Formats: sequence, C-alpha cells, structure tokens
Amino acid sequence: MFAKPHLVRLTAIALPLAAAAGMSTTAQADDWAPTRSIEFIAPANPGGGWDTLVRTTSRVIQEEGLAERNFAAINVPGGGGAVAWAQIARDSGNPHKLFATSPPIILVPLAGASRYDHTDFTPVARLITDYSILLVRDDSDYADIDDLVEALRERPNLSVGGGSAPGSMDHISIAGFASAAGLDAAAVNYIPFSGGGEAMTNLMGGHVEAVITGAGEASGQLGEGSELRALGVSSPERLGGVLADIPTYQEQGIDYTFDIWRGVMGAPDMPAEAVAYYEDLFAQMLETDGWQQARDQLGWLDAYQNSEEFGAFLDEQKELFSEVLTELGLIGQ
Amino acid sequence: MEAFNNLMFGFGIALEPMNIAYVFGGVFAGTIIGMLPGLGPISALALMIPVTFAMEPSSGLILMAGVYYGAIFGGSSSSILLNAPGVAGTVATSFDGYPMAKQGMAGKALAIAAYASFIGGTISIVFLMMVAPLLSRVAVAFGPTEYFALMVLGLTAVVSLSDKSLVKGLIAAVVGVMISIIGIDLQTGTVRFAFGTTHLLDGIDFLVVALGIFALAEVFYILLRGGGGKEQPRNAIGSLKLTRKEAGEIAGPIGRSSVLGFFTGVLPGAGATIGSFLGYSMEKRIAKDGDTFGKGNIKGVAAPEAANNAACTGSFVPLLTLGVPGSGTTAVLLGALLVMGITPGPAMLADRPDVFWGVIASMYIGNIMLLVLNLPLIPYIAKILEMPRPLLLSLILIFCMVGVYGMSFSVIDLLFLLGFGLLGLGMRLFGFPAAPLILALILGDIMEESMRRALQISGGDWMVFIDKPISMWLLIIASLSLILPVVKPLLQKLRARG
Repeated sequence: MFAKPHLVRLTAIALPLAAAAGMSTTAQADDWAPTRSIEFIAPANPGGGWDTLVRTTSRVIQEEGLAERNFAAINVPGGGGAVAWAQIARDSGNPHKLFATSPPIILVPLAGASRYDHTDFTPVARLITDYSILLVRDDSDYADIDDLVEALRERPNLSVGGGSAPGSMDHISIAGFASAAGLDAAAVNYIPFSGGGEAMTNLMGGHVEAVITGAGEASGQLGEGSELRALGVSSPERLGGVLADIPTYQEQGIDYTFDIWRGVMGAPDMPAEAVAYYEDLFAQMLETDGWQQARDQLGWLDAYQNSEEFGAFLDEQKELFSEVLTELGLIGQ
Repeated sequence: MEAFNNLMFGFGIALEPMNIAYVFGGVFAGTIIGMLPGLGPISALALMIPVTFAMEPSSGLILMAGVYYGAIFGGSSSSILLNAPGVAGTVATSFDGYPMAKQGMAGKALAIAAYASFIGGTISIVFLMMVAPLLSRVAVAFGPTEYFALMVLGLTAVVSLSDKSLVKGLIAAVVGVMISIIGIDLQTGTVRFAFGTTHLLDGIDFLVVALGIFALAEVFYILLRGGGGKEQPRNAIGSLKLTRKEAGEIAGPIGRSSVLGFFTGVLPGAGATIGSFLGYSMEKRIAKDGDTFGKGNIKGVAAPEAANNAACTGSFVPLLTLGVPGSGTTAVLLGALLVMGITPGPAMLADRPDVFWGVIASMYIGNIMLLVLNLPLIPYIAKILEMPRPLLLSLILIFCMVGVYGMSFSVIDLLFLLGFGLLGLGMRLFGFPAAPLILALILGDIMEESMRRALQISGGDWMVFIDKPISMWLLIIASLSLILPVVKPLLQKLRARG
C-alpha cells in the first residue's frame, strides 16, 4: 500500500515543506501515511467551538491539498464531550481517529462527569488560543478593572455571567482572576448561561452586572455603537483588531493570564509515526494562506505546540485547574 | 420610505440570477429535509458550511436561510400524514392535522398548512424588515425572570391541552417536566437521573420523545385494534380546496398566530416549537368550537403552522441585529457567517447592508417559491396514505427509527424511542393526553434554568418575579388564564339565576 508511487511522491513534496516551515521532523514521518479517511470528531453539536475548529481545519487541509486522505468531520455530541471521549477511548491504537480538544478535556473529568481525561488520549498538537474578556455595560460605573475589583470586594454577590457551567472555562477564568486580585474566588456570584452570546444579551439587558466570555466571541459585539465595554483581557499582550484598545489584566496590575487553547488529540496509544505525521500536517496547515485567512476571520491566534509540548502543557493545565477548582470547593476532597 | 428603498436594494441582490437559483435550491432542499423526521435543519446547515465558504456572503446566507425556513415549511407534511413530526417546530401541527388526514381530509390539511406557512412567513418578514432593530430591544429585555414568567404562561396551556381530564393532563405534564430534568444541570454541573451512563448526560432529545409518543404509539394502537391488515379506503386524500367559509375561519388564527409566533421567535431560546404551541393553545382558548380542537379542526392546523414559520423568521432578529444565536440552527448560521468573514451584530446593518437586505428580500421570494412548489405536490405527497396499511405502518416505523438514529447514531436512543412508543400507547389506552407531556418537556428545561438563574442573581429573593414589570404582567396573564375557565361558568350560573 505504502509503495504506491503517487503516495511516495506526495510525501516527498510534503517533507521539504515541513522543513521550510521550521518544524522538527522525526525520522519516522515519512514511514506512515493514512490508508483511509480520517475521522475527525467534534465532541459536540454543530455550531460550537470544537465544531468550527474541526470543520475549518478539515476544509483548509483539503483545499490546500495537504493530505492524501479525506478528513471527515463528525459530530458526537453529549455530556460536554464525555460521550465522544468514551467512544474514542475504546478505539485504542487507531491511527485514523482524531478529535478537537480544549480545556473541557481536563475540566469535565475533574468535575467527575467523565471517566476519561487527557491522559487517556494521545496529544497531537495544540493549534490556537483565545483569551477571556471581562465585559460590562457601556453605561456602567466601572471604568476599569480596579473599579470592578473594588465593587466585588464590597459586594460579593455582584452577578458575573458566563457562557458555561460552574467549574468550566469561564468560571475558572473569573475565579482565577478573583484569586489573583486578592478576592475570595469561591464568593464570586457566577451565573452560568448556555453560551457566551446568551450571557452578553443578558448583560445588554442589565440582567447581570458583568460578563466573562471568550474574546473572539465578544469581538463581534464590541467596536462602533456597541452597548458593551471591555474592562480587560486575560492575554499576556494586547490583542489585535477591535480588541487592540483593551488593556490586559497585567497592565492593570493584576498578575493573571488565562488561555482558552484548542488543539487536536487522537485515540489512545496512537502509533508514534502516525502522531509525527499529523504533527507535521497541522504545522504545515498553520502556514497556509487559507488557514491564516480563516483564523483571522474567526479571531483565533496561532499557538502551535507539537505532541510532546502539548502533552506537558496539558499536565500543567491540569495542576492549575485543580488548584482553582479546589479553591472553589468544586472538587471532592 | 427608507425601508422601502432598502428593500428595493435587497431585491436588487436577491433577484440576481445566481441568488434566485440559491433561494430555489435552499427552499427545495429544506422542504425535503423538513419532511424527513430526524434530518433537521441543524445538521443540514452544518454540512453546507464548506459549500458556502467560497460564496459571496449574501448568497451563502440566502441559501442557508432558505434551507431553514424551507424545512419548517416542509415539516408539516409528515406531521399531518404520519403523525411523525418532521422537525421539532411542527409537533403541534399533528394535533389536528393527523385527525384531519384520518378523516380523509389530508389534502385540505396540507393545503391549509401551506397557506398558513406562507402567510405566517410573509407577515413576519414584513415585521423583520420594519422593526428588526427596535425588536432587538425586546430580545434584550428578556432576562431570566422574564423567561421564567413566559414559561409559566406557556405551561398554563396544559389546561387547554388536556381535553377530558385535567388531572390526567397534569400528570402527563409532570412526567414531561421530569423527563426534561434528566442530564447535566447547567446551574451546578450536577448529573441528574443519568443512572451512571454517558448516554443520558445531555438528557433525552425532544424528537425521540415526540416521535415515540405520537408516531410509534399510533402504529402500536392501530396494530392493537387489529387495523394492521385492512385495506385503506381509496381516495383518502380529499379535496385541496377551501370553501369561502373555511378561509374566513382560518384568517383570524393565521393573523394572530403569525404575530405571536414572530415575537416568540425573536426571544433567544424560545423559537418555533414554543411559538407553535403558544399559537395552538391561544386559538383553542379563543375559539368558540375549542372543544373540537384535537379532533381535526382546521384552525388547529392553521395556527401552529403560521406561528412556527413566523417564529423561524423572528429568530433572525437576534442573529442579525445582535449577533446572538437564539437556537441551535441560528448558532450554525452564525458560525457559517463568521467563516465567510461576516460578523453579525449591531454593526452589520451599516457595514454589510447587502447581506441584511439581500436575505430579507430573498425570504419574500423563497416563501412564494415554497407555496408554488408545495401546493402542486400535495396530491403526490398525500398518496402515501393510499398505500396498503401494512406497508404504511412499516414505513412509519422505519421513518422514525432512521430519523432517531440519524440524529445521534446511538442505538440506545432507538430503545428510548421504543420505550416512549409504549408509554404513548399506554397513555392512549388509559386516556392520558400526550400534548401536555410534550409541552412540559419543551418548557420545563428553560423554566427551571431561568428560575434558578433569576434567584441566584437576586440572592434568593423571590420578589424579583413581581418587581420586574414584564414578568409581573406575564404572571398575571398566566394566573388569569388559570382562574377564568373556573370563574366564567360560575358567573354565568349566577347571571342565569339572577
């Protein structure tokens, strides 16, 4: 199968490309290529972050002709990812199964809602990141982060809406922020909505006093004529586009950053040569014009890590999240 | 005048030959997708994202919007003919549409559904065009307290939906609320009633319950009565024509339900399903012949069909003016627009008027196309009823199973479908109405979530529900609609005596 001439030729082209992209190519990279369609799973319904990542990457890979096999986008919704993870975990060693991932792969198991966590799967690559953003109404009294922190100190029941359940991304983000600002993280009155959009409409209507959500999702709501005002972003440096004027938390004296990263993982015990193949594939993809165009439109920022780095990063994230969740009293001792 | 100029500008875009082709392709595909249970607009739109990526954004949205409202338009066919709702928004259509079909008036039911959908769709586009920016205020004004009050008002419809025994209707409603509780609780992240399996983490899909309790239960019921082998009488379709009197009868319900449906659609999270139920129960209460609802009343087909199409258009208000999706389907549309480089929201009307006005103009064209496309097809679609019974029943079974499996690819859901079929059969045999269960299942979720959210924001103070004017009025109307049916006969008695 691998000896087919056209396959050899394709890999021969692919290799210099990878080298040009400055990626470390392992020795086995040219030894393996997919022999059938790759199932690329979004562990959620169409429309969300994972789904967008899966569909966008599949499309770019196909349009740029990066892979000789088709990437088939598949939605396996349920349990915030748990249904898909349970399915993929049974498919140990399958080199044709990938899925989109982000902090829930750590948070959902920590909350006790999934038997499987990131250590059960093979990290392939981290691709992009988004950051948290703190919003208030445009006519709000809170002019900057300090005002909000002061208000939270005096009135811990000040309602902060977010787009995900307690103990998941938005809640962790605001809890970590509160902690860094010297507040009691567990006292934050976090109001979960079923999405960042719903949280923002509730902010516009004055039903909650502040909202924490993804900067990418909020960017459409900011700018000219907006009813919302951003007080800060969780990035280490200022973001671009309509978000360029928004100071970071760090600029405002609160030493805290929070990443909403997204990446790709594979079935448990995926063969090393397959991992190497996909690592290179995604690294190449990030260099294409098609990707850069789509990425900018979606407000994502590249944050590539290869399999090894991504694995280590996931372990660090787990430590960090466990700390915050323990402080929130959301992890059973 | 400005709206008129804008609309002409929009027609300039929508009438480009390619865009006409997209509207037609969209509504045609939508009609077919709508007819097949399980295959809903959400999955169809998700599949289309790669296709629309390279398109001009206005064309992409015209095509995808066409699929969406086309599906709601087409969804009534299987509700009426097979008692199997094609999409969630057409469940209420089966309450009177299916009895009409059984009485040999399938043609008329389908024609009424088509007219009502067309008028509901068109009226709501006028609203969308004239007042969309203003209406975004309405969507924003609804917070957790207001949603709770609205859901309470919706639940009072249980009274009008339980025809014979109110107690049995309430029992069915409680079962519906209980089913809605299954799964991860958003407020705390706690898993409820999942019995340790991952399959129940997201609860049970509404369509699984609806298909089981309506379509499958009907199949079982016919089999149980030994009707399975009998030949269906010929000419079961009947005339498509409406008499002048009938047209007059449905005009009011269509008008009222179009307005009600549109406003329901504007509220994020409410949408076509709730809109159609509200329209149906409102008409049942208003109508003088309200007791014939559920037995094949033409108004019972007209009202939900006008409402669900109007709600579908209404759901474009928060999407286009706020950039906030109000439903699963509009969430996919939002994603598609973002991929095409359009950020819906307050700035879109100014930045990309071509997309906004183009899609609105295309909706007028699409609705006319749907009517012209669907009316001549009715005799052919309705032919399905002339099939021999054994074939028809097997077809319904296959329809339901493929539909449910196609939603989740889960065999467990098939077992649930069967279970709800048996539950539905039991309910029919013992005289429990199914509609209150479905209504409570749809509303229970949002009602509980909103109530707890509101209380969390208020710090546990129940007075918020009365302090806020919108929720106070909704709760007053809800109480009145519960008290009036009891008080009215008493007053009449008193008057008769005096």
